[in-house]
Amino acid sequence: MRTVSEGGPYNCASCVLLSGQNAVRRTSDCPPHFLVCFFLMILLVVPSLWAQTPANGQIVTLDDAAQQLAERAAAIPGLRGPLRVEFFQDGAFAGETGKDWQESFKRNLEKARVSVTEDAGANVLRVGLAETPTELVLSAGVRVSEKEEARFVTLPRTAFHASSLPVVPVRIEKQLVFQSGDRILDAAAFADGGDTGLLLLAYRGTDLSLIKTDTSGTSRQFASLAATGIRTSRDLRGEVTVAGNETQVSLPGKSCRVGWSTPDDVNCGGAKPTWRAAVVLTPACDGGGWKLAADGADWSSPDMLQVMPDGAGRRGSAALLSDFPGPILSIAGAEVPSAALVVTRNLRTGNYEVYRITLACGN
Amino acid sequence: MKSTELRWLAGISALAMTFGALLLAPSPVGATKHPRYGGTLRIELHVATLSLDPREWKPGSVAAADSERLAGLVYDRLVTLDEYGRFQPGLATEWSHDASARNWQFKIRSGVKFSDGTPLTGKDVLAALQPLLPTGLTVSGGENNVAIHSQRPTADLLEQLASGRYFIYRAQAGNGLVGTGPFVVAEAVPAAPSEANSSVLKPAHLKFRANEECWAGRPFLDAIDVMLGDPALRQMLNLQVGRAELIDISPDLVRKARQENLRVWSSAPDTLLALRFDEAQPATGDARLREALDMSLDRETMANVLLQRQAIPAAGLLPQWLSGYAFLFGSGMNLERAKELRAELPANVAGGTEALRMRVDAVGDVMKLLGERVAVNARQANLSVQSAPHTVGGGGTAASLPSGLHLFAWHYDSLSPRAELQEIAQHLHAEPATDVTNDSSDPERLFAEERQLLETRRILPLLLLPEYVGIATNVRNWSVAPNGEWRLADVWLETGPGASSGEASVEPGGGRGVHP
Repeated sequence: MRTVSEGGPYNCASCVLLSGQNAVRRTSDCPPHFLVCFFLMILLVVPSLWAQTPANGQIVTLDDAAQQLAERAAAIPGLRGPLRVEFFQDGAFAGETGKDWQESFKRNLEKARVSVTEDAGANVLRVGLAETPTELVLSAGVRVSEKEEARFVTLPRTAFHASSLPVVPVRIEKQLVFQSGDRILDAAAFADGGDTGLLLLAYRGTDLSLIKTDTSGTSRQFASLAATGIRTSRDLRGEVTVAGNETQVSLPGKSCRVGWSTPDDVNCGGAKPTWRAAVVLTPACDGGGWKLAADGADWSSPDMLQVMPDGAGRRGSAALLSDFPGPILSIAGAEVPSAALVVTRNLRTGNYEVYRITLACGN
Repeated sequence: MKSTELRWLAGISALAMTFGALLLAPSPVGATKHPRYGGTLRIELHVATLSLDPREWKPGSVAAADSERLAGLVYDRLVTLDEYGRFQPGLATEWSHDASARNWQFKIRSGVKFSDGTPLTGKDVLAALQPLLPTGLTVSGGENNVAIHSQRPTADLLEQLASGRYFIYRAQAGNGLVGTGPFVVAEAVPAAPSEANSSVLKPAHLKFRANEECWAGRPFLDAIDVMLGDPALRQMLNLQVGRAELIDISPDLVRKARQENLRVWSSAPDTLLALRFDEAQPATGDARLREALDMSLDRETMANVLLQRQAIPAAGLLPQWLSGYAFLFGSGMNLERAKELRAELPANVAGGTEALRMRVDAVGDVMKLLGERVAVNARQANLSVQSAPHTVGGGGTAASLPSGLHLFAWHYDSLSPRAELQEIAQHLHAEPATDVTNDSSDPERLFAEERQLLETRRILPLLLLPEYVGIATNVRNWSVAPNGEWRLADVWLETGPGASSGEASVEPGGGRGVHP
């Protein structure tokens, strides 16, 4: 059976192969015997927890796809060079993918002994890259002996990874520390002796949960907050704070404590939450504070993080701005006074991302 | 101007913009502005009537597209597709299929209730889907699961279920339908004569209220009020003066709307305008006539001049965003070739007293203009095309005679290019060249089928039109699903400082319906 399950990378049900993004439809078949299936699942799933693995297709990059398309086009019966290659690419998509795949296509076409020319009179091979609602489609069309021939290579959109976002180089250091297809509400950093990592308040499917990860972003422990009775909401607000060995979760009308030695033991009580005030960072070389704030209009547009001098005596100082790939959903101080964690939803990929913002001195 | 001066100016501008942005920004908050609960969103649509019963929708119908858009307020689907190409659980939380993609299993979400309070079961899903699914697909259902069996491989079943008419509803005894969606129909008032002047019709309107028990969370809006059949210019005025928040704008008015600084959103092209040859006039059976007309059509002028760049010329039946290969089809105008072909035809074919009669769907001014342009283009190739708007009962002389040509609009309903092409082929009365033992989601097979349909020239694609929507500036979180449905459950209304709209102002995150 080929199966997809709700809940992204956390779920672990038998005969259910998982992906970091829950759009993967074509997965390998599970053998009927449960135990074999279970062990196969463990072997396949555990290394990929939290990882953004592509679908199980063999093609994972545009270069690979371009190579395969070139080989398929070169095999069209009766096709002879030299050909003039014309590329067609969707406007919005063009800037993101660059032109490396086009070079790869031409290189591999020539490798398959079909020569390429710039001669305007040569037979035209039209090559396109397009994004459909579910797939990336690479196509090559050419007229051979009065007949239109076309060849295609497709890959799931979810298998494609855009190059990393550029890092703002000056004074604000921005580092992507975690991403997931699941909805993240808030993040906090913890440092308990040698044990460091992230605490994430996130929806696993429709279940609100607390997740503890190590520094590499691998999930180590989960605590379900389903027992709190908090109803599913389109704009649930929740905050995570580290309180000694415990983690405190603030929700509308409720406060919960989770002790990680027994994460199933979640203690909640009715309480009016005290939401955190604006985060103020104090870099080591600068005695003053810098207040962090977002200025976005709503959740459908990218946001900008403002880093502003805090306090009346520092009004003359300049402010810093940093672009984010989507709305900023939460800002929390990290384990050191010069750093913060920012949760955003990347509007290009749909993933929830956690960035570590550090105010660097100099430059 | 010297380059150093330019750099100075650029630097000063950048500084001014930075400080301007800071001054204009709201007081520091932790994150992006939080949504507000409350308020009524007022929508005005051109369409005069619509049906929220998916069983009544005709594939490709423009009226059905408006109905589908509003049905998304009331009903949910088994799965949805997000704008990143990922299928997301809807009323189904898990799904699977066998290696042949003929047998699919869906697990139904537990704890979901219809708006009348009754729980959703697999049997409800069965009852809803069976009348909607195409021939060859059968559904069976238990309490918490549903199985769909197909006679042929259907790897694109999720694309189909995530779009079009495949909503989950329950038919009530009184003939009404209920759903599990974020809104509930509160009132449906048909068009009626005005009290002041009985010769004037008061437009029909629909009122929706928030479904407090929606499984996906209560929507931000309290209510949505939809007015149907208002004239286009009055709609624009209502948007400008704050009497409406959302209107649909026809392509010929987009430029005017932009000139008046209205906020206009446009979709990917979702409507095909095309010509279809019908056998009612025997002359259309001649391939040379069809090719001559095709070669005479100036699609570039239609798109760029007639519709002021608010449409794009169409070469294929499926749009590029759906198939990914439409750019491979060419549709060059060749008037000389058209004249040559015309010269080969008898004089009375599309000429003399036997003009090619063209029926034009009465969808509005755009279709009328386009019909006239087709006739002008045809005349340049010495072909006589007589345009007549299609009216019920046949008003004009041309409409009362059988037509050999039909100018029609086709709205793309499905996220599956295969399913969409099959529907168009059926509309064309062409036998789909699909091998039932194979999965024609294979793009090479799909391309071959579309090319085969185009080569017959029984249907001539003309233009692709996007959907245009005028949006008030206080509408927030506006977004649209890949299948064109408006995601109004996530929309909220901004109110100005000190505004006394009577709308709820609640603590961020602690919105109504959130507190346990």
